[in-house]
Amino acid sequence: MLLISTAFVALARNQARVLGMPAMPTVVLPHPIGGTPLESVLAKVDAALPEIIAKLTTPLATEVKAAAAADASSTWVEIDSSDEWHGLQREFIERGWGDGLPLVPPTEARVAAMVGGAGLPKEHIVGVVAPSMGVATVELIAANAVMAGCRPEHMPVLVAAVQAMVEPQFNLYGCQATTHCVAPLLIVSGPLTRKLNIHSGSGLFGPGPWANGVIGRAVRLILLNIGGAKPVDIDKATMGHPGKYTYCIAENEEASPWPSLRAERGFTAEVSTVTVVGGEAPHNINDHESVTANGVLTTVCGAIAESGQNTVYYNNAEPLLILGPEHAATIAAEGFTKDDVKRSVYDNARIPMTRFSQEIIERRFWRRLATRYRNMHTDTLVTVAQRPEDVMVMVAGGAGKHSMWVPTFGSTRSVTRAILKADGTAWLPSDF
Amino acid sequence: MKLCSPAGHTLPLSLSAVARPRSLEGLRIGLLNNCKAPVDKMMEHIERKLRAMSPGVEIYSVAKMMASQPAEAKMLLGLRQNCDVVINALGD
Repeated sequence: MLLISTAFVALARNQARVLGMPAMPTVVLPHPIGGTPLESVLAKVDAALPEIIAKLTTPLATEVKAAAAADASSTWVEIDSSDEWHGLQREFIERGWGDGLPLVPPTEARVAAMVGGAGLPKEHIVGVVAPSMGVATVELIAANAVMAGCRPEHMPVLVAAVQAMVEPQFNLYGCQATTHCVAPLLIVSGPLTRKLNIHSGSGLFGPGPWANGVIGRAVRLILLNIGGAKPVDIDKATMGHPGKYTYCIAENEEASPWPSLRAERGFTAEVSTVTVVGGEAPHNINDHESVTANGVLTTVCGAIAESGQNTVYYNNAEPLLILGPEHAATIAAEGFTKDDVKRSVYDNARIPMTRFSQEIIERRFWRRLATRYRNMHTDTLVTVAQRPEDVMVMVAGGAGKHSMWVPTFGSTRSVTRAILKADGTAWLPSDF
Repeated sequence: MKLCSPAGHTLPLSLSAVARPRSLEGLRIGLLNNCKAPVDKMMEHIERKLRAMSPGVEIYSVAKMMASQPAEAKMLLGLRQNCDVVINALGD
């Protein structure tokens, strides 16, 4: 049986249904449980104990169903369009289809055109999207892409993005259901970025007349509609962040003095890629004064070394440093490689353990990260990643002396997927 | 206007529950701690209470390392092999 708090009832019941046991017995305690005095928590448990015993020992209603034939085909609905714009938008809201912004109606013609952009059959299954384990066919991805305002040529990027997000190491279920603010950040790299107008320069996080916004929005709609991560009930983000509307950028490879993210990960020059990172909102790093590599890196490491970020609490976190081109040039001018930058962050972006509460020290550092910090004194310095190579570094943005730090959910690893056609070859700019 | 619903379909799983025991007597009870605070203390408290109610119960306690990841296959196998029922903490 499930022991849950009131705030998590909808998520727990959704998961029980999705995993094939809608009649799973649950006992609900008043929220919150964490962060409250232990005596009050145990009092809640005592009050619930008779129900716990009852749920363990009471026969369940029999739930034996013949397994239905798998059917992932799209559903088409007739919607009254007499009040063409406002009526449609109201209908979309009532059906829970959107993100609160106006949606492009996914008509037969628009969806068919979008499917055409993928170069795959409409019934092809790209992945299964947590937490509701919705089957993402090409046609369903296309419907969400239409609604977001995408163009057919964006479909290969979206297909690769879904493929990346459903890989186990990304932990999409965790990213979708957590109370953390995480949103998948799409980083597109390679020759397709220019052809598809995915912006890597000034203002790349938005807004602007490029494809970043609609591609990122399509990803969010896929996660909402196919994955079922509706805010409040299923997506339990305490706050969320604006990247949950749209979060897509391109890597500025031309401005980078170092190998790109995709080159680091073994992809050849003609292959464009999508990297998904479970990211918090980006945090600006301003340094207009430093003229040396160590100067810039001192500012960078100082900005990064803050408590309260998930990357500090997990063994496997991969935080992301996005260096603006001018900061990158200053650092590289003294012969620093990307690995030198990673090492610098790992060595110098350290947080005194005294900046964490005793409860965090005991539970997170001494227990969960015991191999590294068990019983260590509180004058220990805590790293923002567990290994230098876990710090991701890339270059993006335009003129100006700013960089960005993107802490991650922590319980997630980035995934890079090539943007490929059905025959396994890379989509090239000449294909569009 | 005919529109494509953007919502996904979940491929159906059908599971049948094991028969519920009639009482706690001699029961093997699993306690699955999702590692959120203070679930460990809650589970210890539940264990004390269960033992006080029915001294013959066997308690099999396990704890995930990360709340947001599924329990590992080895842990699930242990619960399956060693428990008649499981109390699973979920959420914050």
